[in-house]
Amino acid sequence: MSVPVRPPVNAPESARIVFEGVSKFYGEILGVNRVNLSIPPGITSLVGPNGSGKTTLMNLMTGLVRPTRGRIEVLGYQTNDPEQLFAILGYSTQFDAFPKGLTGFQFLYSYLRLSGRDAHNAEQMAWRAIERVNLVDAAQRNIAGYSKGMRQRIRLAQALAHDPKVLVLDEPLNGLDPLARSEMIALFRAAAAQGCYVIISSHILHEVDVISDQVILLSNGYVVAEGQIATVRGEIQERPTQILIRCTRPRELAAKMLEDEHTIEVTIHKDEKGVLLKTRDADGFYLALNQLALNESGNGIDIESIAPADDDVLSVYEYLIGNEEVVR
Amino acid sequence: MTTSATSPVTRGMTRVWWGQIKAVIRLEMKKTFFAKRGLWIYLVAALPVFLFMAYAMATSGRQHRTASLARRGEKMLAYQDLLAVKPGMTSEEVVAILGKPPLAFHWGENRPLGPGVTANVLRENYHYSDGQNDLFVDLADGKVESINIRNGNNQGQDSIMFAGVFQFFFLRLAVFFGCLGIFMNLFRGEVLDRSLHFYFLAPMRREVLMAGKFLAGLLATCTIFVISEVLQTVAFLWHFSPSAREVYLYHNHGLEHAAVYVGVTVLACLGYGAFFLVAGMLFRNPIIPAAAILIWEFINPFLPGILKQFSVIYYLKSLCPVEIPSPPGTPPLLALLISNTDPVSAPVAVVGIVVVALIALYASSLQVRRMEINYTTE
Repeated sequence: MSVPVRPPVNAPESARIVFEGVSKFYGEILGVNRVNLSIPPGITSLVGPNGSGKTTLMNLMTGLVRPTRGRIEVLGYQTNDPEQLFAILGYSTQFDAFPKGLTGFQFLYSYLRLSGRDAHNAEQMAWRAIERVNLVDAAQRNIAGYSKGMRQRIRLAQALAHDPKVLVLDEPLNGLDPLARSEMIALFRAAAAQGCYVIISSHILHEVDVISDQVILLSNGYVVAEGQIATVRGEIQERPTQILIRCTRPRELAAKMLEDEHTIEVTIHKDEKGVLLKTRDADGFYLALNQLALNESGNGIDIESIAPADDDVLSVYEYLIGNEEVVR
Repeated sequence: MTTSATSPVTRGMTRVWWGQIKAVIRLEMKKTFFAKRGLWIYLVAALPVFLFMAYAMATSGRQHRTASLARRGEKMLAYQDLLAVKPGMTSEEVVAILGKPPLAFHWGENRPLGPGVTANVLRENYHYSDGQNDLFVDLADGKVESINIRNGNNQGQDSIMFAGVFQFFFLRLAVFFGCLGIFMNLFRGEVLDRSLHFYFLAPMRREVLMAGKFLAGLLATCTIFVISEVLQTVAFLWHFSPSAREVYLYHNHGLEHAAVYVGVTVLACLGYGAFFLVAGMLFRNPIIPAAAILIWEFINPFLPGILKQFSVIYYLKSLCPVEIPSPPGTPPLLALLISNTDPVSAPVAVVGIVVVALIALYASSLQVRRMEINYTTE
């Protein structure tokens, strides 16, 4: 028998992770300030440089720290009720310390016994979690002898062990080799596909770009943007949209496009097989481009593809936060 | 219609909580018993055992010598024979009563008779024994000058000595510091190891975690100190002859006293454990609360009645089965420390400790709910 989960207190908001006016100060040091979020199911990435408040936000979400101000609810559950919260939530922290003298299996087994599972159930669930993170061979070894990657995986196994609805993962891919990274990403995607809320913090932007359904950008304790990456990009008005057009005779196309009022800047791609354009009105630009394509198709300019060049996390991050410590 | 039976949900939760408490105890016991940082606790618990073993060995050696002396004597003496010798008797009278001494020394001594006048005096020392007690007779010029009887196996004095060691070393220092070492580290040790989050990530009430940790600490301290207490009793009885042991245990309340000492040890672990559990959560530096509680317990006899009740030693002293007498000439402050001027009945003392412990545990439960994982500030 495990902890029975009560229905959430706040039913209308119970399908989201909600932050309302949340601030956290460590003495005089700002953790996060005036955070308002409503996180839907899927993979949500917290992105920001070191000290931006990613871990604080996760610790707030899991009740490990209490907000100085504001209200947090995870699918309708209060974060000051660990008995209910951790029945639906698993958290893989960045804290690289474990209870002394335990093997990987004992670590998970003990955690599941603490969760109220009986011995048989806990053993089965522990082995299943170990299999999910591919750590079967090392399961009976003491954690003190694990490599960084193995410790990361056993922490992930702890977060996954009780099949939670919400997975909070602080830098989950740190220390993993490329193969393990792709395995873990597949695991997160599978969880999200089943309706889980997967919250990941990362500063490896290309991975965030690949796996995230939505992002939350943090800087100096403030949320600077949130939502789907394309939507966030669209809201950044002061930065012109970049569009890459793959075509034949790029120089002619560049000359034609410069005549259009929506075009701000045109650059010939370095492989001479396309042009990179900047525009402040993407919709107007696409209409003009369609017209041009119709007019110039007989003049030898064949457009092969048109794609936005800066609606990825990296660009959004650079526009909003700048070139701070991130790994591309 | 109402029913007094608990609901299935409550029963289910109680079963889950108990399962969680047992899981916490299993994890904590392993850490508590085998932690390197706790090795000194075993040493502190073993010290009185070593003390009584040393005492037993010394006493056994003396008993062996006394018995050997008695066997070498001309007569088989009884204790009354030893008491028959009085100052002023001649050496012949002494030998007539006790026989030729099995061990005797003699030497010459110059004694002043007046200004500038000395006389050489024959000094003698006779050593007799009845097999358990020793008689030392000092003679000068063939007359008994002084006598000294050293009693052998004096159970009354031995039990007062045991009570003194129990009250002033075992309870106030060994159990006190042992509980400090174990209970203060239940939460604080894991904050220092940065592993407390392991527990905080489990779907478990913080109060359940606290209860599990407290029970684990209580089990560990009770095991260590009750075993120490039992070994102390065994070591204490070591030098008793089988018949003396039987008399002490079954006719002089020895067994009853041993059981009470074990009970007082358990109550001491409960009371001090609860104090140090809450102190370990409230303070980062354990020296400050430890010193404060030590001073508070030490000054208890000097406190007004109402304040006395908020200490552990106040109740423990009332439960101790043997009162330690203050010998004449003891300084008043020390006498006050030794005596129990305001004892309470055993049931009140037991309830008092349990209530003090419950108050401390309630404060701990409030504190544990507020605890945050913020290792960087430690």
